[in-house]
Amino acid sequence: MNIGVYVCHCGTNIAGVIDVEKVTEYAATLDGVVVARNYKYMCSDPGKELIRNDIKEKNLDRVVVAACSPTMHEKTYRDVMEEMGGNPFLFEMANIREQDSWVHTDKDEATEKAYDLVRMAVAKVRKNEPLERIEIPVTQRALVIGGGVAGMEASLDLAEQGYEVILVEKEQSIGGHMSQLTKTFPTLDCPMCILAPKMALHEHKNITIYSFSEIEEVSGYVGNFEVSIRKKAKSVIEDLCNGCGLCQEKCPTKVLSVYDGNLGMRKAIYTLFPQAVPRIPVLDRENCLMFTKGKCGVCKKVCPTDAIDYEQQDEIVTEKVGAIIVATGYAEYDPSEIAEYGYGRYKNVLTGLQFERLTNASGPTLGALKRPSDGATPKRFAFIQCVGSRDVNTHEYCSKVCCMYTVKNARLLRDEHPESEVYVFYTDVRSAGKGYEEFYKISQEKGVKFVRGRASEIVGLPDDNLLVRTEDTFTGNVIEAEVDMVILACALLPTEDSAKLRDILKISEGTDGFFLEAHPKLRPVDTLTDGVYIAGCAQGPRDIADTVVHAKGAASGASVLISHTKMSLDPISAYSDESVCRGCGECKLVCQFGAIEIEPLDGRLIANVNEVLCKGCGACVGACCNGAMTIKHFKDEQINSMIEAAMEVA
Amino acid sequence: MHMPVIKSVIRLNDLDIHFVDEVIKTGSEVFGEDVPKTIMACMQCGRCSGSCPSGRRTAFRTRTIFREVMIGFREKVLSSDELWYCTTCYTCQERCPRGVKTTEIIRILRNIAAKEGYMAKSHKMAAGYVFKTGHAVAINEEIQNVREELGLSRLPPTTHSHPEALAKLQDILRRTHFDELVGFDWETMELKEV
Repeated sequence: MNIGVYVCHCGTNIAGVIDVEKVTEYAATLDGVVVARNYKYMCSDPGKELIRNDIKEKNLDRVVVAACSPTMHEKTYRDVMEEMGGNPFLFEMANIREQDSWVHTDKDEATEKAYDLVRMAVAKVRKNEPLERIEIPVTQRALVIGGGVAGMEASLDLAEQGYEVILVEKEQSIGGHMSQLTKTFPTLDCPMCILAPKMALHEHKNITIYSFSEIEEVSGYVGNFEVSIRKKAKSVIEDLCNGCGLCQEKCPTKVLSVYDGNLGMRKAIYTLFPQAVPRIPVLDRENCLMFTKGKCGVCKKVCPTDAIDYEQQDEIVTEKVGAIIVATGYAEYDPSEIAEYGYGRYKNVLTGLQFERLTNASGPTLGALKRPSDGATPKRFAFIQCVGSRDVNTHEYCSKVCCMYTVKNARLLRDEHPESEVYVFYTDVRSAGKGYEEFYKISQEKGVKFVRGRASEIVGLPDDNLLVRTEDTFTGNVIEAEVDMVILACALLPTEDSAKLRDILKISEGTDGFFLEAHPKLRPVDTLTDGVYIAGCAQGPRDIADTVVHAKGAASGASVLISHTKMSLDPISAYSDESVCRGCGECKLVCQFGAIEIEPLDGRLIANVNEVLCKGCGACVGACCNGAMTIKHFKDEQINSMIEAAMEVA
Repeated sequence: MHMPVIKSVIRLNDLDIHFVDEVIKTGSEVFGEDVPKTIMACMQCGRCSGSCPSGRRTAFRTRTIFREVMIGFREKVLSSDELWYCTTCYTCQERCPRGVKTTEIIRILRNIAAKEGYMAKSHKMAAGYVFKTGHAVAINEEIQNVREELGLSRLPPTTHSHPEALAKLQDILRRTHFDELVGFDWETMELKEV
């Protein structure tokens, strides 16, 4: 057994606290160590070259690098081992940076601790066994969950690369929140106009859309997922419906339209908006007279293709995919819990999305500016920023898009209604983005009055006008503004059903509730579940431009995976000793990856681990009451050797 | 002819940059450190001042006081009359988006100001009643009637019902040097100077 030990300075990160020379000298004295060296940056090419040369000239078969966390560079050195014909698992890292030099200041004690960590790593590497990576097939198709701009962009990018894409959308049309907007900053282009070419994706030969559908269950693993999709009953036979719209024109039942922010009505059988994709309407069974009263049937009578089916049932379809992109977007914060703003009590206090619908040409007023209380044309407006954002009482994070969409709406009001008074009550204006600061400046020049003060309260006046009160922090005056309408820039939240999807996909969420990326900077579209990627606002608030970039990143991540027909996985997984296991199932209960099945063997039960699903977390090993469960690379004798080494004194 | 208002440049070096630390340290004695140190997160959004019922009528600006504490205008803050205009209604503290314990911090500032000899006259007068009656607001006929209607004794179980306890209270006030703080004269049983 020829072991080489390499101590990294990491510039001054390690060498500034730990005496790397001494650690190197100490390492050379350890059992089995034939060479010990230190170098300024072990991960650099010259650093790796030192290891390569020693493997060649000193016949090293095992290597220890004392440097940073294995999550940072374990792969770097395993690749060196592999490249030199060695086994990558006959390698150990001693983390003398994160667990030593970065957390200690006393140089002598930190150096002593480095001795211990190196001694433990050498003890472990002596016991390591060569392991072979697992090779699995890959299904070269992808699932995209969510048909907003993120999901559409990701679907198109994958489809254009030649992969089949399954796009699942919970509403009856793709388009997402972007389809609700009036104009978009900083170019003021019409969202539907720029979205339409992307919505044409339903004609793409590689894309299958399941609209009005939800993910029911996901089984399998990276490269090999099996997805159950619930196609909810639309009460409309898709193959027959030609989208003529006669049914919704003739339907006698009117219902508040959630899509229009409850500011207008829709029918009980309806499409979301004129350019809906697919154009097939959905019958809302909670409000349809056939379901509530058992009579009507107008839609069925007028349908020229006999596409209405009151008996239609939900349908479960199964799709096999290699990668999954989660693009479920966001929900708008309900501001009624901030009682002093009076949302829900004062009719003329609206949310940002409601205002988008109110000013949208296909919205409830067909774009005419009318206030909800009396239909009068409002002339004085107050926009209130950071509602439910940047507030420890609601959500601490900045929702990032509100500054710019408020600036956009405020400017549009001044453009289209020059007589209007427009106030923006803000905490800070955050206009970072290409062309955004310039856009903000133009809005000032057009006469939008920016008041630097977070609105304290809104007082409802008898004529349904509103009094906004705050401090103008620049002059130190407490000020009040009487306006006809208030628009609250509400926070962006995770969607209501994101927790359900999180559990189905076994991905994580951050403290803010949005899905968590694998690394905030270097793996922003990956999740910690291999093969599952996130795109757009599902990961955190971002505007359309950033969402498209993120979606393209997720599509790229997914295509890196599904462009291969096979992939290899780390072999560090659990296995059960059949001669000891008694099939009690405790391991299955604690396995959060669904990797363990209890199966019959020769008339008794035993635990069987799917080594592809297994993440090597070790929960089952702890739960096993008679020592049948073992994890490769972390066997008892391997761990014990480290513990024994830890107890020794240098 | 109007005289121009002269405002000179203030050198940050001349201010007491440790004042905020003093506020946190002093406040910790009463509230524990978690309460006063919230001041460090103030982002000057003005929601406190705009929510302030006193600020709508007076020159009291909660936000400005916090800014002055943060940057070190020690004497200005402690000697200001406005510091005593807060009614401790806690609206600003309820609404602060950064979780600053605004009202508690105003109370801490008053404690420091009082030790430095800056206590508002009205507060000293209220303290004088505590010396004389054991209450800042002594009971009156009207309140006694209300108590009776509610099925309570006409007098609460305080120095009002137990005049003999007043001497003990006065002893506490003397031993804690509260008399010196408010300038109470035991001879005349009045404030020394009002």
